[in-house]
Amino acid sequence: MHLQINLLAERLDPLHCLAQWHRMLTAECHSSHAAESMFIGRVRATDAEGQPLDALELEHYPGMTERQLQELAHVCCQRHGVSRCLIQHRIGRVLPGDAIVLVVIGADRRGPAQRCCQDVLEALKHDAPFWKREWRRDGGSSWLSGNTPL
Amino acid sequence: MDPGCPPLICIRLFAGLREQAGWAERHWPLQKAGNGAALTPRDLWLALQLPGAFTNVRIAINQQFASADTPLHAGDELAFLPPISGG
Repeated sequence: MHLQINLLAERLDPLHCLAQWHRMLTAECHSSHAAESMFIGRVRATDAEGQPLDALELEHYPGMTERQLQELAHVCCQRHGVSRCLIQHRIGRVLPGDAIVLVVIGADRRGPAQRCCQDVLEALKHDAPFWKREWRRDGGSSWLSGNTPL
Repeated sequence: MDPGCPPLICIRLFAGLREQAGWAERHWPLQKAGNGAALTPRDLWLALQLPGAFTNVRIAINQQFASADTPLHAGDELAFLPPISGG
């Protein structure tokens, strides 16, 4: 199983990360996978109240967040018989429209790739210690107390 | 460790809970509860009078999710985690 998981304090360019991952797999002589499923999550333009959002701040629990992501990805990949997983997750201040998260699953068939991608995403949303704070244009802010509906 | 001092545990708060409580990290002496039982996260939540409902937080001990009634040991890092919202 090949897992690559990173927390990024700088801007996340999903397609650049994807291309880098492909190059790395090729360089390490991994055979190419026939199916690949990808999810990119971006910051909305408005907050939970529908007001324009200035930025989203992502806090995490250093050490535990990285370990949880590894464990969650490992369990999901095992469950679906998938061998490759890339997770890139932003921390710090993220602007509307910018990517927060990239999940890519490489598998032999589309079913496991797509199901595993969704499972990894739901697992990290609910069981990896991240917290979101919405910053409004008036300088006020609020911590979110849960996730948006699926 | 000074043999005259009780062993400590480290307590950490995050995000909105940290801001409501007004602190991020504290060290707390590991003393048994009044009934002689081992100290648990639930005991500490009550002792520290932390804001909000205990049912809304998750517990981590040494950076692993744990139950609220897990006995604590000297040197443990206990974290109270408000509702998670990643991805």
